[in-house]
Amino acid sequence: MNRPTADPTLAVEVRGLTREYTTRSFFGTVSRVTKALDGIDFSVKKGELFGLIGPNGAGKTTTVKILTTLLTQTSGEAFILGLDIRKDLYEIRRRIGIVFGGERGLYNRVSALDNLRYFSDLYGVDPAVAKLRIPELLKAVGLADRADERVEKYSRGMKQRLHIAKALVHDPELLFLDEPTIGLDPGGARDIRNMIREMRSQGKTILLTTHYMFEAEELCQRVAVISKGKIVALDTPSELKKGVRDIAVIELRTYGATTEYVDRLKQLPNVVRVVAELDSEVQTIRVQTPLGADLLSQVVSALPPDAKIIDRTIKEPTLEDAYLRLVEE
Amino acid sequence: MGSLEGLTPGKRIDSDLGRRSQVIKACIVLTAKLFFADPQWIIPSIIAPFIFTLVAFFLFGGQATTGSFLLYLVLGSGLMGMWGTTIYGSSNSISFDRWNGTMESTLAAPIPLSWIALGRVLFNTFEGVINAVFILVIGLVWFQVGFGLVNPGLFFLASVSTFLSLSAFGLLMCTVILLSRKGGFITNSMEIPVYIATGTMFPVTILPIVALPFAFLLAPTWGIEAIRLSALPGYTGLATSYWVDLGILAAETAAYIGLAFALFKRVEAYAKRNGTLEEY
Amino acid sequence: MKNTEGPSGGVLSADSRMRMAYRVFKGAFFFGRKGLIIWDTWEMWVMQIVITPIAQIGFFAFLSIYLQYPASVTQYIVIGNAIQSMSFSAVFAVANITSQDKWQGTLPSTMVTPANRVALFIGRAWFQVLLSAMIAAAGLLYAAVVFGVSFASADFAGIAVVVLLTSIAMISFGLLISAVGLYMRTALIVANIFLFVTLLLSGVNFPVSVLPGWLQPVSWVIPLTYGTEAIRMAIAGASVSALLPVLGWEALDGLVVLVVGYALFTGFENLSRRTGRFEEY
Repeated sequence: MNRPTADPTLAVEVRGLTREYTTRSFFGTVSRVTKALDGIDFSVKKGELFGLIGPNGAGKTTTVKILTTLLTQTSGEAFILGLDIRKDLYEIRRRIGIVFGGERGLYNRVSALDNLRYFSDLYGVDPAVAKLRIPELLKAVGLADRADERVEKYSRGMKQRLHIAKALVHDPELLFLDEPTIGLDPGGARDIRNMIREMRSQGKTILLTTHYMFEAEELCQRVAVISKGKIVALDTPSELKKGVRDIAVIELRTYGATTEYVDRLKQLPNVVRVVAELDSEVQTIRVQTPLGADLLSQVVSALPPDAKIIDRTIKEPTLEDAYLRLVEE
Repeated sequence: MGSLEGLTPGKRIDSDLGRRSQVIKACIVLTAKLFFADPQWIIPSIIAPFIFTLVAFFLFGGQATTGSFLLYLVLGSGLMGMWGTTIYGSSNSISFDRWNGTMESTLAAPIPLSWIALGRVLFNTFEGVINAVFILVIGLVWFQVGFGLVNPGLFFLASVSTFLSLSAFGLLMCTVILLSRKGGFITNSMEIPVYIATGTMFPVTILPIVALPFAFLLAPTWGIEAIRLSALPGYTGLATSYWVDLGILAAETAAYIGLAFALFKRVEAYAKRNGTLEEY
Repeated sequence: MKNTEGPSGGVLSADSRMRMAYRVFKGAFFFGRKGLIIWDTWEMWVMQIVITPIAQIGFFAFLSIYLQYPASVTQYIVIGNAIQSMSFSAVFAVANITSQDKWQGTLPSTMVTPANRVALFIGRAWFQVLLSAMIAAAGLLYAAVVFGVSFASADFAGIAVVVLLTSIAMISFGLLISAVGLYMRTALIVANIFLFVTLLLSGVNFPVSVLPGWLQPVSWVIPLTYGTEAIRMAIAGASVSALLPVLGWEALDGLVVLVVGYALFTGFENLSRRTGRFEEY
């Protein structure tokens, strides 16, 4: 049997990764096997900023958990920085940094400084080095003047910046960022994205998961689209968009649009897809169609009498459009 | 905001021993800081020992005014306090990460879980000593007697050994809580039974025979014996010698530690298989 | 614990924040912090009704044996601890009765008048009273079966009256405790302290007269103190009519405590809601 070996130019190498969950009935017999991941293959080059996008439940977090050694795979291989995730657990952990999305992952009752010192020690950083590095990190993420305050007093954006500092405290070569901008206001999210860009320019390899398509498009050099446990596409954002180059998007902002209107739009000939957000006072509807502007008159006439279009634009398809086509097929 | 350029590069400690002691120390420090940030959390763990001892004060009644009696009570109270924090504090030193949201961070650490737990458990057990101090202060103020130890050196040795054996037990209970859905029930239920079985306020010899195996398997039972032998004049207790007591204590403590480390490996394997220790 | 952000990630109303705080409060204590372990699982029931009471009685009984006190003293201690076991449910009774979902959910807001609230409270309190009484009865059962206390000359009618009255009075006292806990924002600690303070002050292990003079009045505020005295009399054979003086005082004490407790409780609850203090715990 050929022992699999890792390619030294790759930071992450995944071959045939599968993860099954077995739910057992009360009596211990197997009742259902769900495949969270179904034979995933991809690789990330050193120094690359790689994105993993997909709907909730597609397998993004499962993939990240397996690659960060927090979850065992059912079958398949994966190598992180040339090390086998089945064997060299602790060595891998020492060389990667992980940012989990959301509020959790920090000790809120103590200060940012205390948190970083703790994690720095946990990761075996030489204390003499930590003494220099930690204040530098705090300054780099803009928390230096509030480093001594309890983390529970921080805003969400500040906590997320602290998460980044924590992930970098042991100077890892490879970083996993799991939905790092989720729940942040635009300013906070922009700060995080800038930091991500900076980390990349430092030569770090980054694997990013996100469900903000514009974020993936903006930051990532290559993107893998994962849906129902399989990778359905893997390419640069511009190549992926070519998959939807045949369509244009009519974007409408309306008052009074209803689900019936959206359904009517879907019925129109030459409409590929309609994506609508109807929850707020002003609704946003995106109609994907190869006809582009030519469809406009039909779109307008299909409006209910008491509804109004405030704004309409013809847009180029975005990564989101490409993604939607990929995951819905 | 600054830039990520020009940061001091990270450098790692290479030796296993160096890394382990670094982690233990970091966990003691973190647990201490979390405790001082919110010291009230200790109260549920030491309230029972504290009040039980006060009740004992009044029950002892007329025998009340000697220094050696006060010492007897303080020792018993200290041990009960350490049990309290072992049962509620130490055994939850990792599961605390669950409701604190830091479980993933802990499981992602590049060092076996047992070393992280050890540091936290050591500080948690220590919190129980505070109970003894409270009782001592109250006793001194109330009775205004001094007291002397028969052999301070041996007393110190016995005390530290008992402290370590309780920490080892706490480490073991930590795995029970993490591995079993009934873990909380088991640890919470054992509080008063261990006060009884380890002879904190009265010797285990007055217990029914069926209880004795449990009493003798609990290392701190031997610890309190050794402590009393080295502190109280005229104490005979189980009629074993100080060094025999310490020997049994050491052997049982080693067994707890071995078992705990083995079970922690199980915990980690379980966490990896299921991806989480978040839910039971 | 579940993430309870609103669907659009927006700010929750004050009422849902309170609910969230309370849920988090409960969740936090389930994870091993002793104290407000709400009756979530059967194991907790077994622990609180069987294991802990027997162990507690045992601890003090053994202490008495060690001190070579006569059997009558040991019996005194066993009976005292047996009935003290109901303190547990008394302390949490109020939490169970007034948990936000139950309190607000059953009446439309226009109908939440003070009178209706009292009615609702009393309506729910009955269950807690029965629960407390059951726990005390279980304690007395252990006293007889495990610890050999003789009920040969006991007046069971008297026992029943004492247990029931003490339950009611202790639930009322629970209101007072909960009010203090609300005010101090450390309900957990107040509850824990009270759980055990009765061991010292309510004639459970020794008569109140053993305590220093300045402390004794506090004992007589706690309904359980009358309860321990009365139950011993009933087990020794005193009839209900012989118990009336003690029970009378207990009822009076219970009533005063109820009124003060209710006033404090609603007062602090309103204060908390107005100042939004429920969020910190």
